[in-house]
Amino acid sequence: MEMRDLVALGDKLLDIDEAKFRQVVTLLEQMNDHPDIQRTIAVIRPRLVELRLHRRPTLKRLFCDPFEDLFEALGKADPVPLSVIERSLMNGLWPLVEAQVGKERLRAYRPALHDGPERKALTDAFWADCAAAVAKIAEGAVAGHFSEALDLRMNPSRTRALADIATILSIAPEVAELKAALSPKPVPKLHGDHVEAIQSIGRRISRANPEALKIFVLLAASRLTDPSVLLSGLWDMDLGQKSADRATLFMQLSGTVVAQIEDRSRLWQDTQASDRMAVADLALDLVASLDATRTAMEHSRNKEFDQRLKQVRNSVHAMVKNQVLQDADAGIVAAVGALDNGAIGSSEGRAQLAQAENHARALRKCATIADSLGLRGELREVTQKTTASLTEKAQQALGGPAGNARTGYTAIRMIELIAGPAEANKIMDGIMNGGRR
Amino acid sequence: MRSLTNFAPSTFEERGAAVAFTTPVLAQTRVRKDSRDQLEVLVPNLSEGRGVYVVPWKSLPLAFPMTVHDRMLHDLIAKADGCSPDDIRKAVLEAARCGLAGGGAVAAAEAALSDDEDQRLLINYQLIVEALKAVGLESTEILRVGLTSAEGQKLTRDLMMKAAQRLALEPTELYGRIAELAVMMEAIGLASSPKPARLRRLMRDLNGFRDSMTDWATDNVSEAAPIGGFCAEVAEHTVNHARNVIGQLDQAMASFEALLRQWETKRPQIRKACSRLSWLLDGWEYLILLWSDALTQDRYTQDMAVHDIFRVIPLLPKDEGRADQSMLADQLISSHKRSVRAYVDWRSGQLDVDLVMRIETIKGKAA
Repeated sequence: MEMRDLVALGDKLLDIDEAKFRQVVTLLEQMNDHPDIQRTIAVIRPRLVELRLHRRPTLKRLFCDPFEDLFEALGKADPVPLSVIERSLMNGLWPLVEAQVGKERLRAYRPALHDGPERKALTDAFWADCAAAVAKIAEGAVAGHFSEALDLRMNPSRTRALADIATILSIAPEVAELKAALSPKPVPKLHGDHVEAIQSIGRRISRANPEALKIFVLLAASRLTDPSVLLSGLWDMDLGQKSADRATLFMQLSGTVVAQIEDRSRLWQDTQASDRMAVADLALDLVASLDATRTAMEHSRNKEFDQRLKQVRNSVHAMVKNQVLQDADAGIVAAVGALDNGAIGSSEGRAQLAQAENHARALRKCATIADSLGLRGELREVTQKTTASLTEKAQQALGGPAGNARTGYTAIRMIELIAGPAEANKIMDGIMNGGRR
Repeated sequence: MRSLTNFAPSTFEERGAAVAFTTPVLAQTRVRKDSRDQLEVLVPNLSEGRGVYVVPWKSLPLAFPMTVHDRMLHDLIAKADGCSPDDIRKAVLEAARCGLAGGGAVAAAEAALSDDEDQRLLINYQLIVEALKAVGLESTEILRVGLTSAEGQKLTRDLMMKAAQRLALEPTELYGRIAELAVMMEAIGLASSPKPARLRRLMRDLNGFRDSMTDWATDNVSEAAPIGGFCAEVAEHTVNHARNVIGQLDQAMASFEALLRQWETKRPQIRKACSRLSWLLDGWEYLILLWSDALTQDRYTQDMAVHDIFRVIPLLPKDEGRADQSMLADQLISSHKRSVRAYVDWRSGQLDVDLVMRIETIKGKAA
């Protein structure tokens, strides 16, 4: 197959069967350096990650190994790292590093890609060389200027990312240890041995290279399902610093966590979401992060963070109110009513019903956070109003001989989704015992 | 409550038939009859350890909060005559059709019922053709005019009269035998059928499940991998048994004349084989769909799915398999125990909305 054809396939590669996909990846790997191929690989990357294909080991891959956890998330559900490094930045950076280190030296590092007695020593030396090279490149990159060498405009976050890469590479052997301890990624919960590993590696870093501690903690956080989990554990961790340094590190990390929560809370602020469950899930997630962050910050009262967290809470409040509570009653009852008009079989009818079910589930989900968002009264009002209209519908449909049983049962189902099975069973029993069964 | 090892059932009837409840803790629990012919339900241990809870059917709603759909299904099963996999399936489809488990389940139940209807027509026609072929009569004419047309029915009647004469049977007797055979074989269909029937499809899917589970468990470092390997092994045993049974049935159907002539001796054998096949494959459909759904998700969900499958996997009863699967399952309990799942929302103790939704989605895919 010609390279042109392979590239033309593009996102079609996401749908072909697995065996073929593996074959195509092997072919692509053989001509990896071409920009078109790199573009194609970028398109199919989510599937590569999903299949966990064992890719050909290259020095570039080894170079990325210490900081790969900070690459931008591919899937929507993947946790977003607290400090993101763009893949395009790394792609631009690698040829510069290659040039800086020199072909001869790189060739000497090749055995590091395969198992052997000198593998570890070679890998460590390679990372150290790369760290020096990146640090040099980072010095030359000025924020706001266009970098010819990298073919990218250097904004502040890119300059920061460059410096981060240099720092991470300088502590790469410790990072490798951390990755082994916090594995497999993402780690849903911090256990004792995780904390122990972070502490002992962290202490070593704070002795040798205290500036690298912050990025080390961020790396540890990026291996967790929810990065804010680390924040609550951080205060009690002994990373071998003075208490003032510890407070500074804590504040830095808190700042990053809060900024991330703020970003996430902006997701659905203005646009109307079609999937209300996603809104409810996000709201639940944000409230959990907010609570975890607030508890962690008990130790360091900081007015600015308090203010920012309050704002996030307000925007979650507005999001739940506008996207979940508003029009819930009308939307759900209308979808059930549409069943009477013969919309059962049609695909629109089904879609409308599925949307209403989602809305009902979202309402119920939000019940768990309504208290902390100060929406309890409003939620109760919406729930009661919707349940009352649905009960009436169910009574009409199931109580008399002329009713449409499907409408009645669907109304009961909606009540179940909104108010829970106990309430729905009670209403159903009431209707059935009063009428036919 | 008894340990899983001493519980290991000897027969299918003792193992019970799986019920497609949507309440997470009750999903795929098994129902059977006790010594006094009363229904009882077997709920796997809630702490994922050894043993099962045996709860009288009537008390089930008191012991576990159930969804409205499950309450209706519970009622329908209590009112049904028996609790064989076919009886349970009938009740499950009837409950799903109401709409209490969502639009997807309604569509799936209606598709399943219409598929049953098609298969019934198909097997009736195929058996008539087989009967005619067995006595050397040509049947292509029927196909040309159509089995359902008046002309076709008349033609069929005439030909069947002739066939009955050649077999030295009363025509009503021949019709009766074919009708009974059609009912027994409806879910299995003939080997030559252009559209495989439900249990043949299920067996094919189970084969796929075994392969995909084996692939997943090989070279996998996850704690769930040995459990996945075990599930694949159980699937393998089940497929082998099912293949034998289908082989026997296909053989019997291939010598159709002998089957019709020695009806009294062959009938019980066919009946037994058909019922055995439906027991063998009972409970697998949900697990196959659960797994194929999990395969599209992340690794953690896949691990959890393997634990979920292990919890309710239909082990072969002692009398069926040579290898004692419950002994093997018992050895895996210690690693299974590490993943205790909360079947309710831990914040409120109420039903976990997401879990119920997942079960309903799978129900919507079953047809």
